[in-house]
Amino acid sequence: MSDASAPPGPPAEPSAAHSIREFEHGYEEEQRLRGFRSACGFVTATWGLRCPRCGRRDLTEFALSGKGTVAAYTVQNVPSDEFVNDAPYAYVLVDLDEGGRLSGWMPSVRAVGDLSIGDRVRWVPSYKPGVQFERDPTPASAPKA
Amino acid sequence: MTREAWVLGAASNRFGKMKESGREAGARVALEAIQTAGIEPKDIGYTFVANAFGLSEKQAHVGPLINTALGIPEVPSCTVESACSSSSAALHEAFVHVAGGFLDAALVVGVEKLSQLDTLTATSYFAIGADYPFESHNGATFPGLYATIADAHMKRYGTRREQLGAVSVKNHLNASLNPHAHFQKPITMDTYLESPMIATPLRLYDCCPFSDGAAALVVVAAEKYPNPHTEPLVIRASARAGSIADMHDRPDLTSLPASQRAAQTAFRQARVEPGQIDFMEVHDCFTIAELVALEDMGFFPRGQAGAATAEGLTARDGKLPVNPSGGLKAKGHPVSATGASQVVEIFEQFNGLAGPRAVPKTSVALAHNVGATGSSASVHIFGRR
Repeated sequence: MSDASAPPGPPAEPSAAHSIREFEHGYEEEQRLRGFRSACGFVTATWGLRCPRCGRRDLTEFALSGKGTVAAYTVQNVPSDEFVNDAPYAYVLVDLDEGGRLSGWMPSVRAVGDLSIGDRVRWVPSYKPGVQFERDPTPASAPKA
Repeated sequence: MTREAWVLGAASNRFGKMKESGREAGARVALEAIQTAGIEPKDIGYTFVANAFGLSEKQAHVGPLINTALGIPEVPSCTVESACSSSSAALHEAFVHVAGGFLDAALVVGVEKLSQLDTLTATSYFAIGADYPFESHNGATFPGLYATIADAHMKRYGTRREQLGAVSVKNHLNASLNPHAHFQKPITMDTYLESPMIATPLRLYDCCPFSDGAAALVVVAAEKYPNPHTEPLVIRASARAGSIADMHDRPDLTSLPASQRAAQTAFRQARVEPGQIDFMEVHDCFTIAELVALEDMGFFPRGQAGAATAEGLTARDGKLPVNPSGGLKAKGHPVSATGASQVVEIFEQFNGLAGPRAVPKTSVALAHNVGATGSSASVHIFGRR
């Protein structure tokens, strides 16, 4: 749906994009990774009221599979206070199978040889408020969106 | 642009560890900049302060404190915050008001004091400058975010760690000739390569230090100061741009779109091409950031800034000197003082005050300052009268 075909009158805001807390609740308790797909095709898992790429409001919520490939990563030896007991660990940027990119941390990666760009990873629910990934041993099956 | 605006005076303290508070250091460099300009504090019409992490000193609203210390308590002030680009954002505000005819003279003060914090606390403060729930909660630190840029850049373009090291060695050499610099000694490539790993592939000597520091600028309307005491910097462009805040939501991990946009706007405003820039100060919070900045602004094709740096093209006596001050890497990075201090370096170069670090040509210079991982960027271009 494009802006041109949108009905007149006050727009309906994206269904669940209202609160950052809902994303965090999803990671921790619902075991749901919230994603939004814009009318332009942009996929994001970051809170917002409009698409950051095209500015339109037609954001459709869907559950991300959390599966994808590593686009870039770093093994951090000097953490911030919330990860002080977890270092070293990897901070990863993951190209999702559905499109879009997500960032997260991987406690299992403790040295640069433990991971490579292009490796398959998947989201795993975590006790921490952010997004956590683990290695995905299953082969990539879902076709790219 | 309605009328010509100049940077008429500029001053910086020695970056590193300040004994005094931010407000004291800010007032001191402000007075020095005003005196350099050859004007009086009462000539100032507005003070734009940058002090992003002032709360770490348990002090907000530092503008009136500085103005009171300068004997001009009636002068209005405000704090401008744009993370590491706070004082270039403050300069932009001063420029807009002066060029637009709303002020004849404005003061820009950038100041930061973080040395009272331990590394863990300082790293955590810096993480606040990223998207806290969507980046920092996901494990990112500032070195970590730039490390992923480096990882992607190395993978795509074959950028090598010796090329990152060349940025560090060059900037430390320049800083060793700069009395304002945090680090005063050159380093060798071996020192760089053997330094501890912070966030792969970035080592300690890829990272700028946590510095204290203060820098100030006086911006005036040219028509009001027909006989300047200094060689003023003509502000030929003052451009800012933004981009998608979260790095993971940007299409290309090897580029900061805000730098590209701000540079394009600045080149258009100044009516110059990248090839006409004699030297520049760029935002090298990490070595990879200097390479990406040079590519984003169009000085080198994608993936080629590393080789150019290793060949010495960006050395102080090279074809295109980059960061003759030592940059954030070695002059230091007192967050909110950094953008103004880049302009202090250009002012000193234009006024023959750079001593042994003088660059060969000083007709047109550029300053590039980034907020966070490029969600904000400023590009200023300066020329001569």
